[in-house]
Amino acid sequence: MLRGKKCGWSLGILWISAGLALLPAQTPAQYRAKDTEWPSYAADLAGTRYRPLEQINASNFNDLEVAWRIKTDNFGNRPEYKLEGTPLMVNDVLYATAGSRRAVIALDAATGELLWIHGEHEGERGAAAPRQLSGRGLAYWSDGKEERIFYVTPGYRLICLNAKTGTPVASFGKGGALDLKLDDDQTIFPDLATGEIGVQSAPVVAKETVIVGAAFREGMTPKSMKNNKGYVRGFDVRTGKRLWIFHTIPKRGEFGYDTWLNDSAEYTGNTGVWTQITVDEQLGLVYLPVESPTSDYYGGQRPGNNLFGESLVCVDLKTGQRKWHFQLVHHPLWDMDISSAPILADIVVDGKPIKAVAQPSKQGFLYVFDRITGKPVWPIEEQKVEQGSVPGEWYSKTQAIPTKPPAYSRNGVSIDDLIDFNPGLREQAKAIASKYHLGPVFTPPVESKLDGPLGTLTLGTASGGTNWPGGSYDPETHIAYLYACNACVEPIGLVPAPKDVSDLNYIAGVAGHEVGILRGPGENAGADSPMPPKKTTASSYVRMNVDGLPLIKPPYGTITAINLNEGNILWQVAHGETPDVVRSYPAFKGLNIPRTGQQTYNIGTLVTKTLVIAGEGQVTTTADHPRGAMLRAYDKTTGKEVGAVYMPAPQSGSPMTYMVKGKQYIVVAVSGGPYSGEYIAYTLPSTAE
Amino acid sequence: MKLFSGLAAFLCLVAVGPSRGVSLAQEPAAVESRSVWDGVFTEEQARRGEALYHKECKSCHGETLAGGESAPPLTGGAFLSNWNGLTLGDLFERIRKTMPQNSPGKLNRQQNADILAYTLSANKFPAGKTELSRQTEFLKEIRFEAMKREPRK
Repeated sequence: MLRGKKCGWSLGILWISAGLALLPAQTPAQYRAKDTEWPSYAADLAGTRYRPLEQINASNFNDLEVAWRIKTDNFGNRPEYKLEGTPLMVNDVLYATAGSRRAVIALDAATGELLWIHGEHEGERGAAAPRQLSGRGLAYWSDGKEERIFYVTPGYRLICLNAKTGTPVASFGKGGALDLKLDDDQTIFPDLATGEIGVQSAPVVAKETVIVGAAFREGMTPKSMKNNKGYVRGFDVRTGKRLWIFHTIPKRGEFGYDTWLNDSAEYTGNTGVWTQITVDEQLGLVYLPVESPTSDYYGGQRPGNNLFGESLVCVDLKTGQRKWHFQLVHHPLWDMDISSAPILADIVVDGKPIKAVAQPSKQGFLYVFDRITGKPVWPIEEQKVEQGSVPGEWYSKTQAIPTKPPAYSRNGVSIDDLIDFNPGLREQAKAIASKYHLGPVFTPPVESKLDGPLGTLTLGTASGGTNWPGGSYDPETHIAYLYACNACVEPIGLVPAPKDVSDLNYIAGVAGHEVGILRGPGENAGADSPMPPKKTTASSYVRMNVDGLPLIKPPYGTITAINLNEGNILWQVAHGETPDVVRSYPAFKGLNIPRTGQQTYNIGTLVTKTLVIAGEGQVTTTADHPRGAMLRAYDKTTGKEVGAVYMPAPQSGSPMTYMVKGKQYIVVAVSGGPYSGEYIAYTLPSTAE
Repeated sequence: MKLFSGLAAFLCLVAVGPSRGVSLAQEPAAVESRSVWDGVFTEEQARRGEALYHKECKSCHGETLAGGESAPPLTGGAFLSNWNGLTLGDLFERIRKTMPQNSPGKLNRQQNADILAYTLSANKFPAGKTELSRQTEFLKEIRFEAMKREPRK
């Protein structure tokens, strides 16, 4: 690899760290989160992405202007086009991860002035990391005197920094760093440098514990049924001492081990918590959204229900002991990782107060539980589902389907879901769909065959519904706001894995095509020596669009408001300008097509006192604005759009807000296509006094 | 559509300009202004690019260029909108400087041009008789237009 040749990761070299005494003189009094601050990735540990601020409102949103901006190109040795961070803001200082180095930067929250920067050169270990680039963010902790910033490097080390200076805190771990590949109740294979495990989400600090999950490569085409396991650990916030571990795949003798038949718990891996973790500090409970086991779409070598794969698990904050769990998907086969932060909601149902936890999902269900007992607030029924026919696969006869609230995005495919702007397009779409197996939620993957079906056509799977940015929640009104991709169609076919590619019986693929390993960004394993390409078979080469238009009909992406007291949908709007390809499609000239929203899976929302705010995930060029994307604001009571402000590139990280010196700011990460990563802060124009 | 009306008028002016084959040096650049709809790569070049794509790009961007969990699609509305209104030079430089992500700069200019040709081909832009240049300056003279303009009636 290009970088780190001279710098072994173990040196943990401080890249730049200038404690320039530029921080505000104000010292933190007894720290407690203020409404004007944003101290945690999702605003708070409850996963709400909510701040009750109202200086920016419906009457002035259109007046917003750029207060400051910072490109992240130089926070790494190459620009990054996938900036996904949400910054923190405490005591007038904004902290963020940034750039291909996953550097940590501290900025003056009012001016954007760079106060300090820290980066870790991890050499081979960083280059081999499964989840690279800038990650999603960091965690803040203070005891009223000391302030600390925590983040996890691409090479899976937990770093503790002095929030005032950016220098590592020597008393934490070894010189301010913990090697997360050690002390994990498993030996990471094949070795510490290249062993597959990492994480891109922000760690969570609750009371005196910092909690870290784990992530892996994309799981559609793994090389093996065996992999490292994604346990979750809690560490002492002061020393880095491990306080507890939760085995997301139970060890022999532990609860749930028997849900892995043929001893498959011994070798199956993944099953990490790669998204944000939520904590109720008062109850002392941690909510872990667990992802899929190895592999995403084939589970014949892990027969059984596979606890705690795709389960919401509640553990004790002090001990990590399991309090309750609920498996959303038995024997996962659809890549329905629980992909976003659980949302804590104190609701009132039929006059009875309930401390609830609401879990958005890729499959468009919002699962709502009593967060103390784990009992569903509204019945979640085990319903019979289609049994598939992939050789060697093990199928759960039933799946858990919530009776309330109704699904807020599509999670199955029928002919009625196909493009229908005109009969000709629908016919073309039907011709494409005829090559696939269709069905409702939990229709299983099929073996891909040249004479059909090529796969199962799915919605609400890998990139459907709500993904890593998660939802928002207003604790005053008990309403949740959820962005969802409503048209992120995923054809899932399985092909026999050649022995030289994988020891799995089947991996994701299309009949007639070379079988290959799919990778995430920046992975270096094997990139220099890939399999030689085989001739493709044109007849099985199918794209999910019709004459350049999306195969699935609008709305492509939505924001939905759900009343959690009632379990019903209050409103739903298409989010995002109609894509250029639809607006400029010649045959639509003269047609009045309502806004379609966009086919984007990674949009996060922000809720304030009066608004729901979210940017667009795609670039458009319209009569009203040059090529770019809009940050839009909706009246949170009705869903009516009340304003929009221009961004030069799509929203790639979720927006946050705060107040400094009497002014409210909204900061959002943008990047994509030709535009490298940038954080942009918006505020209202100054008024003459 | 409103979106393209200004540029469409401009293109019509271009259409009545000198025919191709006149050497670049003798003509103003605007006269030779081309778009991705003008057959700016060859089928053979796209075939070379396809082989390279499968070797260097497919593992992240997918078999059908539909993207993956962590890599954006290289076909469809989002991709076309991202580059609509820019030039092939912009797209070429994005590929050349940042791809493959694990080893940017690994491929030479010719290979990058071939991959770009394949990407255009996969997006149903027409092939022509001349290959895409490997020089950024030349590629900057070719506009990326998501939709083909309607001929003036």
